[in-house]
Amino acid sequence: MSLTISKSKRRLAVLINYGCLLLFVGMFITGKYLEWNIAVIVCGLLALIMLLVSFIALHIKTKLWKLAHSKTADLDERELQLTLQSLRHSYIIYAIISLLVIFSLAMLAGRHDSTLIIIYAGLLYLAHTLPSAIIAWREREV
Amino acid sequence: MEIRKIYNRISVLREERGVSRKELAEKIGVNFQTVGYLEREEYNPSLDLAFRIAEYFGLPVDMIFSTKPMKPLSREIFDLKNKSGEYYEFNDF
Repeated sequence: MSLTISKSKRRLAVLINYGCLLLFVGMFITGKYLEWNIAVIVCGLLALIMLLVSFIALHIKTKLWKLAHSKTADLDERELQLTLQSLRHSYIIYAIISLLVIFSLAMLAGRHDSTLIIIYAGLLYLAHTLPSAIIAWREREV
Repeated sequence: MEIRKIYNRISVLREERGVSRKELAEKIGVNFQTVGYLEREEYNPSLDLAFRIAEYFGLPVDMIFSTKPMKPLSREIFDLKNKSGEYYEFNDF
């Protein structure tokens, strides 16, 4: 793992990376549902290129990708603690974003499709109960 | 749970023995960057790692790690000798 890039630069790279992802998805949705014009295509392509460049700079060159995707056995205790904390935060952020996206889709399609609302409720329940369910499943009797 | 800071003498001992961070890391089975984190007291080792470090240096764990800021080693030896009845002036060191 290399954290030789300063923290402020790493944070900037994270913001640029996710900003480009949002822009790329936004341009695709705009093109698909409104109109594919030259501005949308250029913006989408630029966002994709910047997404790849910032991904390589932030994840590959720093070897953070390798760290976050290593097997448990290949990490020492500090690296393991670091990745576990990171996974804990990632789970929360990912669950919130996924639920917000599904909630938005459910609200948009609400009158016509109750399936999405039921799926949303199920996933909301799963996101909150999964961590304790895993403990219940794995822990030995005391 | 609030985690207490653990102070240590790893950097002093490592330099005294002329061992690089990389060599120490290999001996105790961690990444060399972890040795840096330990030396800067930015990471508290597990009990297992603390014992591995103590075994490597051939010293008791409490000579290397403490919950209070560490005294210089010379002062520690002086205090220990005084406790055991061998009286010295601190300047003898």
